[in-house]
Amino acid sequence: MRRALLPWLLVLPSLTLALAVILYPFWEIVRLSASDVSRFGQVRGFAGVGNFARVLADPIFLAALLRTLEWTAAVVGGTVLISTGVALVLVQDFWGRGIARTLVLLPWSISLSMAAIVWLWAFDGDHGMVNATLSQLGLLGRNVQWMARADTAFPIEIGVGILVSIPFTTTILLGGLTSIPGDIYEAASIDGATRAQAFRHLTLPLLRSFINIAVVLNVIYVFNSFPIIWVMTKGGPDNSTHILVTYLYELAFYLGRPGPAAAVSLVMLAIVFGFTVLYVRMQRERSA
Amino acid sequence: MSRRSGTILAAAALALGLAGAARAETVRVTAAYYSDKTGPYFEQMAKEFHAANPGIDIKIEVVNWDNLLQKLQTDISGGTNSDISIIGTRWLLDFVKDGQAEPLDGYMDSAFKGRFIGAFLAPGQIGGKTYGLPIAASARAMYYNKDLLAKAGISAPPATWEELAADAAKLKAQGIAAFGLQGKAIETDVYWYYALWTYGGDVVKDGKAAFASDAGVKALTMYKSLIDKGYTEDGPTNYTREDLQNLFKQGRVAMMITAPFLINQIEKEAPKLNYGIAPVPKETRNATYAVTDSVVLFKNSKVKKAAWKFLDFLFTKDPRVAFTKGEGFLPTTKAEAADPYFAQNARLQTFVNLLPNAHFAPTVTGWEDTAKAVSDAVQSVYLGKDQPAPALKHAAELADQALGK
Repeated sequence: MRRALLPWLLVLPSLTLALAVILYPFWEIVRLSASDVSRFGQVRGFAGVGNFARVLADPIFLAALLRTLEWTAAVVGGTVLISTGVALVLVQDFWGRGIARTLVLLPWSISLSMAAIVWLWAFDGDHGMVNATLSQLGLLGRNVQWMARADTAFPIEIGVGILVSIPFTTTILLGGLTSIPGDIYEAASIDGATRAQAFRHLTLPLLRSFINIAVVLNVIYVFNSFPIIWVMTKGGPDNSTHILVTYLYELAFYLGRPGPAAAVSLVMLAIVFGFTVLYVRMQRERSA
Repeated sequence: MSRRSGTILAAAALALGLAGAARAETVRVTAAYYSDKTGPYFEQMAKEFHAANPGIDIKIEVVNWDNLLQKLQTDISGGTNSDISIIGTRWLLDFVKDGQAEPLDGYMDSAFKGRFIGAFLAPGQIGGKTYGLPIAASARAMYYNKDLLAKAGISAPPATWEELAADAAKLKAQGIAAFGLQGKAIETDVYWYYALWTYGGDVVKDGKAAFASDAGVKALTMYKSLIDKGYTEDGPTNYTREDLQNLFKQGRVAMMITAPFLINQIEKEAPKLNYGIAPVPKETRNATYAVTDSVVLFKNSKVKKAAWKFLDFLFTKDPRVAFTKGEGFLPTTKAEAADPYFAQNARLQTFVNLLPNAHFAPTVTGWEDTAKAVSDAVQSVYLGKDQPAPALKHAAELADQALGK
């Protein structure tokens, strides 16, 4: 009895802290989402599910929800695909590998907002280096206003999203690749396996758990990623590049509606939670 | 011995100093960042005020406009807000409704009220009480580049939208972007209101959205036709007001509508630019947009008397002239308007002369929602995603859901 209690006693302080840090804000959000709240956070009354109903009926919200899924799928998919390639190259032994690895990881130290601002300048319609380069190469008759329309702005934002996610993802995959012992490739090549076969049947299965981690963590980060889109287009023009976080921010801090904003953040929490459950279940099925 | 007495003296001095510090009141002021002169101006005022009132310390904090409302929201809900703050007058109603702003009538006598130019005091009054004092005021007019116009053989700036289109055709033939049209970020809606008002329309009337009128459709159709004919800069939905101002400073757009503070910027950054200022082109009537920023005293302040003393000081002549001159605004008090700098400034007088036709942002709840709905609607038209009439109708429905609620 005493023995069973002791470990609990020992973790109690950190457990309490963790619960306080997680539960209190969660409770606040739930409370706000069910209240009629003023711009300054004063609760004016009980709103029931009114905030949720209002948000769910908003076509901008529905469009942003779909776009968030597109955004997450495109950024995470692109990131994992490219990072796998980069990691495969960086794991090879070649001259200057240390420098190459550093160069790939370096962008990690730049904040997302800074990276987004730099890219915004690069794609500036009048002075941007992208327009300048393209017109010098003769590919462009006149300047393109990249950020003026969602058709060009959103893919660019996805591209930036991929670029800034590569360092982190490459690190995970590189760690995974280094943990694969070299002798199994030797054994495989003695058995006559081609390099493609070795990649499919050795590298990929052994790397799978790392790729899974990379996918899940990236999904959570990217789904909630605010700076890139906010800095580059603020969800505009005409709401055509909003994802849920930017929509949420606009709702809370521009339109001064904390109640509906809290409702949106609960919906987002539910979605991310859904992803996580799905992932845990997939893991379990695979190991079973 | 002497060393010991020194210690005692030092201790006594320290104790006295502490007591002195405890007696001094500290007034915290949140100022909006207008330019790189804002911070130094307020620090200077704090110093001068402190010299005259040694018992009151003024602490200045300068915050960017983009973050100001958010910061105030966060500070107020956490109870850590300053005593005085500059705010956009359009936010005032929300502050008043939540009981955050202190009514100032009890502090003002008629002589104090008499300092102001009446039109500018009105927007800070709600329900017959004064909550905000006009610290900054501006109106809008059209800047035009004389050299570019001359190049296209145009001698005078267009007075009507029809003339503007005709001039734009000549400018386009010279490869010059004629009319800068804002289509991105804050005030995208306002840039269209200029036209709306000159067509005789209104944004809000009797507490309801009124912009989806005939005048509104005509004004938006006219803007869209300017875009379609290539009379604006390329891709207006990529241009904020600041972007357009930069284009104008670089001589890359011939005309644009903005506030008086561009005069100071041009003087500093493009002193050789040969430009003039004219009223916003009209259709059936002249119109402009006038904006004030207000300074408010928060209800939860514990040093209201000291804070008011500082406000009283800020609205005397010299501090006002220094501020308005430095930031390039319009005078809000009679004494500063009489100062030769303003009275004899032809460019500023263009703005002042427009004031009788000025429209102020109405103090109604849901103004931000209306601004957002209209900005979205005009963007969708500029992009060719929607037609003026249905886009405005939809925006009016959205605005009506928020107006007055």
